[in-house]
Amino acid sequence: MTATPILELRGIDKSFGSVRVLHDVSFTVHPGEVTALVGDNGAGKSTLVKCIGGIHPIDGGEYWCEGRQVQVHSPRDAAALGVEIVYQDLALCDNLDIVQNMFLGRERRRGLVLDDATMEEMAAKTLEGLSVRTVKSIRQQVSSLSGGQRQTVAIAKAVLWNSKVVILDEPTAALGVAQTAQVLELVRRLADNGLAVVLISHNMNDVFAVSDRIAALYLGRMAAQVSTSDVTHSQVVELITSGRSGDLGLAHSNGATA
Amino acid sequence: MPCPVAGPYNDEVWGSMKAGPSQEEIRRHNLGTLLRHVHIGGSLSRTALAERMGLNRSTILGLVSELASVGLVREGLPRETGRAGRPSLVVRTESDRAYVLAFDVGVDRLAVARIGLGGVFLDRREIPVPPGGHDAGKVAEALAASALEMVGTAPKGTSCVGVAAAVRGMVRRPDGLVRTAPYSGWEDEEFGEDLVRRLDLGLPVSVENEASLGALAEHLRGVATGCQDLVYLHGDIGIGGGIVTGGRLLGGDQGYGGEIGHMVVNPYEGRPCGCGARGCLEAEAGERALLEAAQRDPAATGRDAVRAVVEAADRGDVAARAALHDVGDWLGIGVANLVNVFNPRTVVFGGTLREVFLGSAAQIRSRINRHALAASRENLRLRVGELGDDAVLIGAAELAFSEMLVGPLETLARAGA
Ligand SMILES: Nc1ncnc2c1ncn2[C@@H]1O[C@H](COP(=O)(O)OP(=O)(O)O)[C@@H](O)[C@H]1O
Ligand SMILES: [Mg+2]
Ligand SMILES: [Zn+2]
Repeated sequence: MTATPILELRGIDKSFGSVRVLHDVSFTVHPGEVTALVGDNGAGKSTLVKCIGGIHPIDGGEYWCEGRQVQVHSPRDAAALGVEIVYQDLALCDNLDIVQNMFLGRERRRGLVLDDATMEEMAAKTLEGLSVRTVKSIRQQVSSLSGGQRQTVAIAKAVLWNSKVVILDEPTAALGVAQTAQVLELVRRLADNGLAVVLISHNMNDVFAVSDRIAALYLGRMAAQVSTSDVTHSQVVELITSGRSGDLGLAHSNGATA
Repeated sequence: MPCPVAGPYNDEVWGSMKAGPSQEEIRRHNLGTLLRHVHIGGSLSRTALAERMGLNRSTILGLVSELASVGLVREGLPRETGRAGRPSLVVRTESDRAYVLAFDVGVDRLAVARIGLGGVFLDRREIPVPPGGHDAGKVAEALAASALEMVGTAPKGTSCVGVAAAVRGMVRRPDGLVRTAPYSGWEDEEFGEDLVRRLDLGLPVSVENEASLGALAEHLRGVATGCQDLVYLHGDIGIGGGIVTGGRLLGGDQGYGGEIGHMVVNPYEGRPCGCGARGCLEAEAGERALLEAAQRDPAATGRDAVRAVVEAADRGDVAARAALHDVGDWLGIGVANLVNVFNPRTVVFGGTLREVFLGSAAQIRSRINRHALAASRENLRLRVGELGDDAVLIGAAELAFSEMLVGPLETLARAGA
């Protein structure tokens, strides 16, 4: 893809106290594509995503969006750029229904009154647009939903706001095979509809089933970002476990160049 | 009876005509094309239709009025409201006016559907294969009985305008003779003719291979909508295939093309195949190979059995993982060959191969990336089917509608409505 990436991070550094967690990380995301972000536990995937989402301030490096350098200091800044993140702990409210959850925190107001009919219609349209047929009623309480359905609602909430980039941190980690399949199909559909999707996953079948690109983090460094049509399973596993594979990856396999 | 395959496979009716078409032919063609646009595309405004068909709006108005006068389409408000300003009217099909009958002859179940314009399921039934299902006549009898019940309960003022059947076998074009359907034990069955007689609706019955119809369905209404070059693999008891190139379903000389399941991948040490050969893709990567390698109870077959293997692998079952690994490897080899030969934009995994793909995508992709030519694979999309178990019926319905979408008024008149 030659087009400008929708999102581009250059040379991102991030430390927690004296612990360096991200080191000179570059990462690009393109519209219409699923970018899989992979790496061992502790590699820095969630931290990178939280930097993108404005939860953690970055210590160094540049954040570009649609060809412009931007400053992101808060989740609100990220949302204004069209970047939405579905975190590992979904943060849905069990005692609210689907519509209420989808608007939680930023109810649309028409005049001064909360317009329930409009919210319901927007929620229904979003779910319909995602071909979500598994949810019986959008007035159903979230506590009555399965894990896969909850993921679906969280994803629908993220795309409701005309977002351009949707980042999913391990959306299938706790799901069984059938529900994982549903979520993966949804992920693929989002990208096929033109969105940029970032998918964090440990499951190589999931990664190879839906991604267009794979970005492998190794000990806080970006080992490689490659096209899914150019690598094999074992190459990706090597990138994850040792930071390099043949010509791909970091120059020093222990990642400690500094 | 000739298989009316021209409709959904070919958008360019005039391309091969020598003399210029008459006014009447042009109008007929335009009526059919407009109907096809709303049949496939859902509700469309007259402006959108004018753009898509390259015609001016007054011509569109005339065509819409003519189709509306016979009840095939209707104009109305778009569904979404709450918008400021006056919404423009949209044209949509009248799904109750004209319908087709679609049959899916599976190995252990038969499905019958009455499907209206726009692809709307109006009625759908599943019946077990009657005892002695290797007798094509028995199957035709059961299908016809069920279909005639549906026709009998259809509301007044609706007409059946086409019939098509999907079989797991090789179907000769243009006469629809089922040369062989190994899992049903059929040989040279005039299955379509038999259905014509038993239904006695005065309509031809088109017969097609099930995976070809699955390919057509995903191409027209599923995950490969708008994609002109796709390869469809359908996992069932075997592996069926359907190939669309340049928007046309590939049939070959006599209609037998697209037998992806019998692509040779492992001829020397390969497993024996139902076709009598060794090392066909179906023998290496089909349901039987998967279930055997995963050491499953040989009596349990079908989608649930395949799903159970994928689930066991997910829980860490070693035999199940190894089985999926091997099957994925063979599938990747098969797909790599197809990618090199056809350069598809999309490869669709349907039927039980949906589960198999999701459970072994790493192997499948790795093989493709090693063996398919870099240029051929760079824009390749691997997708699972979107239409699920209905793909075959939907494809059969599209085949059955094809005459209607070439000459709507004539077809309706012939149906006696
Ligand atoms: N808020 C935090 N404070 C201190 N250390 C953290 C914090 N968040 C993450 N870390 C550390 O940063 C490293 C990367 O973690 P994380 O980004 O969660 O990795 P991943 O998501 O790839 O498993 C780990 O060593 C983790 O302990
Ligand atoms: Mg994490
Ligand atoms: Zn064979």
